[in-house]
This record gives sequence, C-alpha cells and structure tokens, in this order.
Amino acid sequence: MSVKGLERLRTLFAQEAEQRLARLGQLVLELERSEVGDSADVIAEVFREVHTLKGSAAVVGFADVGRYAHAVEDKLGQLRSGSVIPTAAIVDALLVAVDRLGSMIWESVGGHDVDENANSAALGGLDAAFGPTEATEATEAIVDAAPPAVASLRAGRGTGGTRESSGTVMVPVERLDELVRMVGEAAAGHLRVGRVLAERIGVEAANLAEFSELSRVLNDLQDRAMRTRMVPVSTITDSLQRAVRDAARNLGKDVRWEAHGENTELDRGVLHQLSDSLLHLVRNAIDHGIDTPEQRAAAGKPREAVLRLHAMQLGSEVIIAVSDDGGGVNLERVREQAVRRGIDVEGLNDDEILQLIFRSGFSTAKFVSDISGRGVSLDAVRSSVDAARGRVEVRSTPGVGSEFRIIVPITLAVLRCLLVEAAGQRFALPLHRVALAQAEETTTLLHAEGRQMIQLDGLPVPVSDLADVLGLPSTRTGPGTYVIVNGTVGRQAFLVDGLVGQRDVVVKGLSALVPRLEVVAGASVEPDGSILLVLDPPGLIERSRRDSMRSVDDVGTATDQRRRSGRLLVVDDALTVRELQRTILERAGFDVKVAGDGIEALAHLDNEEFDLVLTDVEMPRMDGFALTEHIRAHPSLSNLAVLILTSLASDTDRRRGMDAGADGYIVKSAFDERSLLAAVDRLVGTPV
Amino acid sequence: MPTPAVVFRIGHDQYAVAANTVREVVSDPRPTRLPTAPAVFLGAFNLRGEVVPMFDTAALLGIGKLTDTSIAVVVNTAAGPAGLVVSGLPKVVVLEDEVGPSELRGTFGAYSVDDGIAVLVDMDALLLPHTNLGASAATDGLVGR
Repeated sequence: MSVKGLERLRTLFAQEAEQRLARLGQLVLELERSEVGDSADVIAEVFREVHTLKGSAAVVGFADVGRYAHAVEDKLGQLRSGSVIPTAAIVDALLVAVDRLGSMIWESVGGHDVDENANSAALGGLDAAFGPTEATEATEAIVDAAPPAVASLRAGRGTGGTRESSGTVMVPVERLDELVRMVGEAAAGHLRVGRVLAERIGVEAANLAEFSELSRVLNDLQDRAMRTRMVPVSTITDSLQRAVRDAARNLGKDVRWEAHGENTELDRGVLHQLSDSLLHLVRNAIDHGIDTPEQRAAAGKPREAVLRLHAMQLGSEVIIAVSDDGGGVNLERVREQAVRRGIDVEGLNDDEILQLIFRSGFSTAKFVSDISGRGVSLDAVRSSVDAARGRVEVRSTPGVGSEFRIIVPITLAVLRCLLVEAAGQRFALPLHRVALAQAEETTTLLHAEGRQMIQLDGLPVPVSDLADVLGLPSTRTGPGTYVIVNGTVGRQAFLVDGLVGQRDVVVKGLSALVPRLEVVAGASVEPDGSILLVLDPPGLIERSRRDSMRSVDDVGTATDQRRRSGRLLVVDDALTVRELQRTILERAGFDVKVAGDGIEALAHLDNEEFDLVLTDVEMPRMDGFALTEHIRAHPSLSNLAVLILTSLASDTDRRRGMDAGADGYIVKSAFDERSLLAAVDRLVGTPV
Repeated sequence: MPTPAVVFRIGHDQYAVAANTVREVVSDPRPTRLPTAPAVFLGAFNLRGEVVPMFDTAALLGIGKLTDTSIAVVVNTAAGPAGLVVSGLPKVVVLEDEVGPSELRGTFGAYSVDDGIAVLVDMDALLLPHTNLGASAATDGLVGR
C-alpha cells in the first residue's frame, strides 16, 4: 500500500472511530440503565463495536490500539458470557476504558506516541472492577482479528459505489461559513443587478423569466447552504448525559436523564456557543436543584430525580429547556444575596427576584462545590446565550422544580422579514414575530393603565409609536399603520409610517464595536448599498414597556407632589368616557361626581358645591351649551368654572361654547391624560 | 522615531492616527442611524458588503459633536473596522519626535506638523470602552474575576 493510500485509510479510520466511540459511550451508559436480564443485547453490541475498532486499527497499522482494544474485548467477553454482572463500578471502569481507547486513537492518528501509562491505568481499573480472573491472553494474535475486518472493508468496497457515494465528507466549518456568506452575497448581488436593469434599461427584472429563474435557484442554493451548517441537538446531548451521570455519582444523587426532541436541528455555530451553557445548567441542576435521595424521600418524592432536556423548534427559533423536579430556586437565599450585594429588592415580586440569579456573581449554593458554582455563575450562561442572539428564562416552583429555557434563533443568517418605515428610515421586523398589521384609521384606541391600547381578539394590546421606542423623531404626516408583534410574553402594537413589503433578509451581526442594542437583532446590506436594520420584537416590547412605566411614574410623581384637590362634576352621556375621566381625575386627587346629561348635572349642582364642571356637548335632554348657559344664569353658580369637552372641533363651535360662558374647551381627539389634567389645573387652583 | 501617520482635522484641531491602522478614506458614507445606541455612534455604513460602525470622533475625544458626516477615515481595530468622521480630507505625514504630552483620554502625545500641532490618537483605547469587549472587561474588573 502506498504511503498516500495508507494516509487516506487512516483518515477514514478516524472518521469511523469517531462514530463508533460516540456509539460506545452511549451503549455503556445504556448498559447501566438496563435491567440485568435485558442487558445481553447491549453487551453484545458493545463487544461488536470494540471488536470492529480492534480490527480496523490493525488494518491501518495501529498495533497498540489493537492490543489495547483486545484487552478490553476480553473483559467484555466475561460480561457477555454472563460470568460478571455490569455493576456501577464496572460501568465506570468501562467508560474510562472507552475514553482511553478514544484518546489512544487520536494519539495514533495524530502521529503521537501512545501513552502506555494511561493504558495500564485504564486496564488496571478494569481489572479491579471485574475482580480477579485467570490471566488473559493479551498476546492472542492480533492477526486473528484482522482478517474479518479486512474482509468487511473489502466487502464494503465490493458491494459497490453506493456506500461510498452516500458517505460523509468532513469539511472545515470555515469553508461552510464562507460558502453561506458568499451565497448571501450572490443573492444580494442578484437583487442589485435587478435594480440596475430597471434603472438603466428600464426593464422590470421581476418580469424576466431568466431573472426569476436565477432568483429561484439562488434561493434554493441559499437554503441548502444554510442547511449544511445545521446539526441536530443530539450532537451535544451525549456528552451532557455523560456529565449528568458523573456529576450525580460524585454528589451521591440519583438522577435519571431524559432527552426529548434531540433531532431538532440548529446552526452548528449557535449550538456550539450553547454547549457550555447547557453543561452548566445541567450541573447546576444536579448540584443545587436536585436534593439527595434521602431528602427527596423525606419530601415524599421518588428517590430518583428526573433531569430533562427538551428541544423544539418554534418558527425560526429553537427552545432548549432543561428542567428538574428538585427543590426549585431558593428565593429567600437569592433575596439575601441581593441585599448583600447592595441591590434594592424592595417592591420586587418573586419573579423579578428569580431573574436576579442571572446577575453577575450570583450563586445560591450554600457551599461552593466542585461541580458548579465556582467561578462561573448563571450570568455566564446569560452572556453566552446573548452572544447567540438568544435569551434565557427561568421558572421555578419551590418544592416542585425549576426550568431554564434557552431560546435561540435557528440560524443567524437568513430571516424572512416585514419591511416597515418609521422616522423616515426603513426597518425589518422578523416575520415570524408579526401577528398582523392594520390601518390606523380603522383602529379604535382605548386608554387603560395610563397608556394607549387597542383591542385584539378581545384582549387589550398596548400601543406605542415605533419612532418613540427607537428614540427617533417621528416624521409621520398622514395616518400610519399598526403592526402587532408577538413577544415572548404578550403582544404589542407599534405604529409605523407604512409597510414596504416582505422579503428574506441576509442578517449579519452588527460590528463587535457596537454594544448590544436590545432593539436591534442585526443588520443587512440592501441592494442599493444602504444598511437595513433588523429589529428584535421582544427587545422592542421590553423597551416600550419600560418607557411607559417611566411615564406612568412621571404622572404619579407629579400627582403626589402637587396633591391636587377640588370637587369636580363630570357630565357625559357616554359611560366609558365618563368613567375614564373619573379614573384619571380621581387618581390625580380630585373628588369626582358624575352625571349623564345636563338635567342630571343641574340636580347635582342644586345639592352640592363644586369647583368645576367638565361637560360633553352632545347629550340627550340638555346639551353642554345649554348646561353652561344655565350655570351662568344662576346667581349662586356664577363663579363655577366650566370646561367643555367635545368631538366638535370647528371654530364656530368653540365660539358658541365661549359665548355660552365656558372657561375652557378641549377637543376629544386631542384628549389624553396629560392635556386633561393640564386644562383642569389651569381652571382649578392647585393648592400645594 | 519617525512614524508615518494620517493627520485629519476635527473642527479646528488636528489629530493623527498611525498610518498602518488606516484602511481607507471614504467620502459620503451615508450612515444608517443605530437607534438607542450611545451618542458616539453616528450610525453604520456599508463598506463593500461589510457593516462598519461610524463614530463621532469629536464625541469620542470628548471635545464636542460633529454634524457633517461627509468624510470618514476607516481604521482597523482589535474589534474590526471603524469609521471615524473627520472635518475635511486627511493627509499622510511622517511624525517626528513628540513635542509635548497630550491630555485627552485615548491620546499618546502631541507632534509637530507643518501647519501646527497634531495629537496622536490611540484608536483601541478610544473605541473599545464603547463596545461589548470594553464593557465586559469593565465588568470583569468589578467582579474581580
């Protein structure tokens, strides 16, 4: 065999070994879980895997690996014959032996010397676990094992090219990244060509069959290229399972590991970024979340705890949840730590307290242990999830368990977006987050809890102006459009100048020089060379919520400081308007009475003293103008201030109101909490 | 030691960056605003397919604010390229010995150029505190990890 041929064979062996070793690790763990009676199949498969590795190693000239594998195989023979039962100690030793087999193979493939001491240590561990037996014939001819392996290799080749053509090729990730990037550039370039065609030659590119065909091919190409980087979550769950087992044994806890949705695929880069976080969450759960079997039994739970990983795809996001049925997060301890660290916990509810565990340096463990809680804490999890443009959430019920959810985009590259215009700039909103869009003109605004709302499917949805949330000056002149987006919890409507369309956007991260902006998910280079920002709906909702809480606070603070007082009579035939005004005014400190029309109002005025009457114009029986005239004509009421509130906005109406003797006039369309209070304040002296 | 540098004006003052950190000079980069970003960010622009943040150099130096964004010097930093808005076209000169110290944060010292004094700027020191890298470094310091 030529040197080159041997090298090729060794590369193949490395690929084969990687798969077999992973499978072996799985199998040994399975061995531990299975009942003694059912373990025969598993043992047989472990034996076969080791045997095949032994043969392949011999073929490519790794005699050391072959000898070692043979020694392990020998021990496995005892398990297979049933003369030894797979105890936990044996499984431990087997895992070490399989690990050692793996490192040996990599040493050999890499052209390094095999670490004989490590070999003896691993085999010694096996001997100890299996107990004394008759000396094994480790020198049994390796040659014996070789022929079947060679035969199977030949058979593989013999059965035809199908095997080879459906095989796998290892490709460096950088090459795939480059491919994906270039496909993205090609797609963007294609769009630019379309634009140039339209501008210079006046040909509408979308109508050209050739152009559309290329668009379609490029779309497919982009899709396939993206897919080359996708890997199933199972690529990391195997090592997690191993970590669970090791951590549980070290801490004397009894933990069953369950993984669901392992076939869920996501971008290799994203998954890679998450693997340490998941490992940390899993160890954290065993260390802090799950109690010892004794404690669990005392609490009336099964001795064996369940640690579950559940992965699922939701739109263009993947959720990976790690949940345990342990004691839950100890909120008291989090609170204590927060206080010690100088965080103001007054007024924080349990959920807000819970979220503090993601703050830097937090750990709720009583003692710092080796497994987790030293050096890294949950804030490291949060920052690495942040870096993958995802987020992490926690839910916990004392005594029942806790769940950590990591939510990340499947890929960081392509996103179908709705393009909108606000503040004279174009923005992209990820389409999977958009619930619907509706014209401002056909939308009825409500007012509740100090902010504007619209009603959607019978539920109130808060409203804000996208330009305001982005901190940009609004440039809207005509009526806009509400885009209702879904957040992680709840929806929100954002008012934009208009909709531009929808399309796939090749999303790039902003430069590392830009700090993380919660409202921005990424950027894309447009066909015309400008930059399109992709907004992050959950971030937008979060920011808008904070803004509105601040403005409610402002009103609240102003009210407290000014300590308004006065007796007001609100007259309006519409119950909602009447009650809305009553709420606003009472919250501001006024004493408020209400009436449904002018006649009712006059009855109130006969019985009680008021400082101000706030009246609608159009009402049954007696309208607002007539009420005002009555008040002015009445000697004992002549000092009473009258404020007219109406939807009539013409100058004649205003004059008529003033002629009737009103002191002020508010147009309903311009009516909000602030303007109402400002108008009332002007008429009723505000004693401090 | 003579150092080749790119000298540019910010308002009336002259500043310099080492020539080997300068990638190119762009005219009319047309930045897209970055909502909610700190004031030193004037936006981001497209440099042959790359998204490059654009900085208000005056704000970075703490000496005011620039409004005209028609010329930007693109420099390479540890965290990627950055566009620095400058007033007027820059020129390449060779800086001789330092003629005096400089006081602004993120600067190395003052140098004599043919029509006056230019202050040499340390790009990384100036830019990194505004970035993710700078922020996490600051946190690390606080936590004492």
